[in-house]
Amino acid sequence: MDTQQEPRKTFVVPIGPQHPALKEPGHFEITVDGEIVTAATVRLGYVHRGIEKGVEQQNWTQAMYMLERICGICSHVHATAYALGVEALAGVQAPPRAQAIRVLVAELERVHSHLLWLGVAAHEGGFDTLFMYSWRDREMIMDVLEGLTGNRVNYSCNVLGGVKFDVDDTHADAIRRAIDFLEPRTHHYLKVVTTDETLIGRTRNVGTMTSLEAETLGTVGPTARASGVPRDIRVDAPYAAYPDFPVKTITATAGDLEAKFVVRIQELFESYRVIREILDKLPAGDLAVRMKPRIPPGETVSRVEAPRGELFYFLKSAGGLNPDRVKVRTPSLCNWGSVLATAPGHKLADVPMLIAGIDPCFSCNDRLVTVRRRSTAETWTWAKLRQYGIEYYR
Amino acid sequence: MNIELPPLVALLFFPGGLFLLSAGTVYEWADRKLVARFQNRIGPRWFQPVADVVKLLAKEEIVPDGVNPVLFHGLPVVALVGTLTAALYVPMAGMAPSYSFTGDLIVTLYLLSLMTLSMGLAGANTLDRFSLIGATRALTQLFSYEAPFLMALLGPAIAAGSWQISHVDAYAQGHWWMVLTQPVGFLVALVGLMGKLELPPFDSPEAETEIVAGPMTEYSGRGWALFRIGRDVELLVGLTLMAAFYLGGLANPIEFVLKTGGLLLVTAALQSLFCRLRIDQTVGMWWRIGILLALAQLFLLAFMR
Amino acid sequence: MDLEQTVVAAETLLKPFAVGAPSREASRLDVVIRRADLPAAVKALVDARWGYLAAITGLDHPWPKPKPGAKPAEPPAEPVGPVEDRLEALYQFVNGALVATLRVSVTYHDARVPSICSIIPSATLYERELYEMFGIIVEGTPDTGRLLLPDDWPDNTYPLRKSFKGLNSAV
Repeated sequence: MDTQQEPRKTFVVPIGPQHPALKEPGHFEITVDGEIVTAATVRLGYVHRGIEKGVEQQNWTQAMYMLERICGICSHVHATAYALGVEALAGVQAPPRAQAIRVLVAELERVHSHLLWLGVAAHEGGFDTLFMYSWRDREMIMDVLEGLTGNRVNYSCNVLGGVKFDVDDTHADAIRRAIDFLEPRTHHYLKVVTTDETLIGRTRNVGTMTSLEAETLGTVGPTARASGVPRDIRVDAPYAAYPDFPVKTITATAGDLEAKFVVRIQELFESYRVIREILDKLPAGDLAVRMKPRIPPGETVSRVEAPRGELFYFLKSAGGLNPDRVKVRTPSLCNWGSVLATAPGHKLADVPMLIAGIDPCFSCNDRLVTVRRRSTAETWTWAKLRQYGIEYYR
Repeated sequence: MNIELPPLVALLFFPGGLFLLSAGTVYEWADRKLVARFQNRIGPRWFQPVADVVKLLAKEEIVPDGVNPVLFHGLPVVALVGTLTAALYVPMAGMAPSYSFTGDLIVTLYLLSLMTLSMGLAGANTLDRFSLIGATRALTQLFSYEAPFLMALLGPAIAAGSWQISHVDAYAQGHWWMVLTQPVGFLVALVGLMGKLELPPFDSPEAETEIVAGPMTEYSGRGWALFRIGRDVELLVGLTLMAAFYLGGLANPIEFVLKTGGLLLVTAALQSLFCRLRIDQTVGMWWRIGILLALAQLFLLAFMR
Repeated sequence: MDLEQTVVAAETLLKPFAVGAPSREASRLDVVIRRADLPAAVKALVDARWGYLAAITGLDHPWPKPKPGAKPAEPPAEPVGPVEDRLEALYQFVNGALVATLRVSVTYHDARVPSICSIIPSATLYERELYEMFGIIVEGTPDTGRLLLPDDWPDNTYPLRKSFKGLNSAV
């Protein structure tokens, strides 16, 4: 066969919607030439639940619980961003103790999210031992959060105008114990990711993004900070109790995967410090202020630093009982561009790590519409569904 | 130990056939359990590998479109047969090899390679993209570790002055453990064995986060079960060969269990210590370091003799 | 750079394009611009390296519902007023604590805006979302395939418009 004449066929490797590398459904088409990636495209929307449209039918309070369910990892930041926005629209300020507790839970959530990411990223690189250990340690935080809020995932910590629960001495001691355990472990992980030869072989100079590229691609959060772009809403526009408990921006200059590991792990230390500080200096006072069910008309933007970067909420009230428009722009959406731009030229084996590198959260991306399949769709009652199940398995 | 068994018994029950299959699953369990413990997990119960195989055998085997059905069904059998045959030439369970002739070392090594070759062909036989990439990687890896592995096993053979496994085994029993006299060769052979078995960190041919199950993606039911048993047996044969050559030979079943068990402990630790190597890193490592080390060892041995 | 300096910088950059006076709240600066000026305004911000594009938000301002009892007002053929009976796209740029919003209004029957992908390549994901959810056609965006909605989603059905009440009634 004369290969010169034939147009070169592209070999496309589909990653997703269902793929062991992805913990949530997304679809990538990776065009490869042998092992080398030549192009990458993305298709989102597989976990689209219509939340933005859905909240327009809920009242202001119900909407918060719905928005909290956008993401299973960083649920608290969604509720916080929404609550802060609604409070700004209503001209209400939550009491200082409530703001401090919001930050406390947000930082605990960041610790659990970063440890989760560390495990996932290690697993993508085939380093299952690190995966297992970091997830074991993450359980400490999950236990603490469960003890504090009653839930492991959707903490439901916020109410409009404040928070729902108090932090007493027992909780504080439990949190301190967990942090005391995690701090030396985190030092160990930092040592592993910066000294383990095989891991460095997979991360150093892989997916490098210069600070200019990171800036023009509009990346946010640890992805941007690993390239030396100091974007951190907690510092740029402090919200809740961050003016009283300032955090330091952690940046790295290398911009490769290793830098992303290092930045996230060092942010853990910063989180530990802030958590301890809040526990020591928790302001006294009320937990919540009362709010009216109707929110005055207006528009506002509320920005919160999620574990993955800037979470952007745009709220519009028409003065009624329910929100007129809630726009959610999650950090993962900003960072996709960086994966698609850096992937070409890398080995296929690097792609899962590149995707994991931005700590993507597909559920966060996809949120808008309720999908009913064609017009033949009918609503099944519970009894009918049960009957169907019984007959199916008979 | 040297007990004369009727050939049919040796083939079907012990040390071949049934014994191999059951011992293979036991070793797979031990391997999984050890890795799990190293990773701070609980790990499977002892009958899990057997249960997996039984379950797979009971499942429907799906033959995808566009494959050559003869190859699709035949390759798992070839792979299993290759490893089962290889087991007859090694001092399995501390017994003298059932069959032995001059040069059986080379035959054994090639029989062991049948496994990887079959997997590569099986992957290339299907139209699945993950399988194709996995097959490419499996064969690339085969060509990278095969030569150093062979040379590393030639070291003890040269020391013993024979290419017959039973002779090398007998020589090893009468001398210092060759892991002490030829540490480099031992290292290369051990890592080569891990590459052969596609254990982490050399599991890029079946890296699940990239290409699902590599060449095996389209296999289900019987074919997949046969490949799994084949790999279990290969693990057993490989460990036996290593223990016989480098760990002072296998004189009796107790030595067999202790020495292969010790080796398994080391491989399990190595499996949990590292991050998966990319295929280019694997090849680079073997051709830049592995083969040089093995060559240096061979020259040294040839010079010393 | 403190907040006031950022505001002044943004105002200077956007002044040539602004329709009417920009409105200012604590950390927000809203500038209404004409559709045709959008690429130029974005380019001015990007060239000055003023912040980054944080989001493109779509808004739907339907013709207000008639008061109970009153005769329903027919929407005029030509849109009136700056707010009602329009789709609006909000290009939100962020620099430090300040959010600068470029507001572009389009009518339902001429719902199109120019793409800014040639200036900010990563904007394509936002633009595709804007098109799928609000039906604002983004002229010149590189890829117009489905991004978020399912492949069998009916054409010309835009779920985040206020008129969308579920698929059964829309189809």
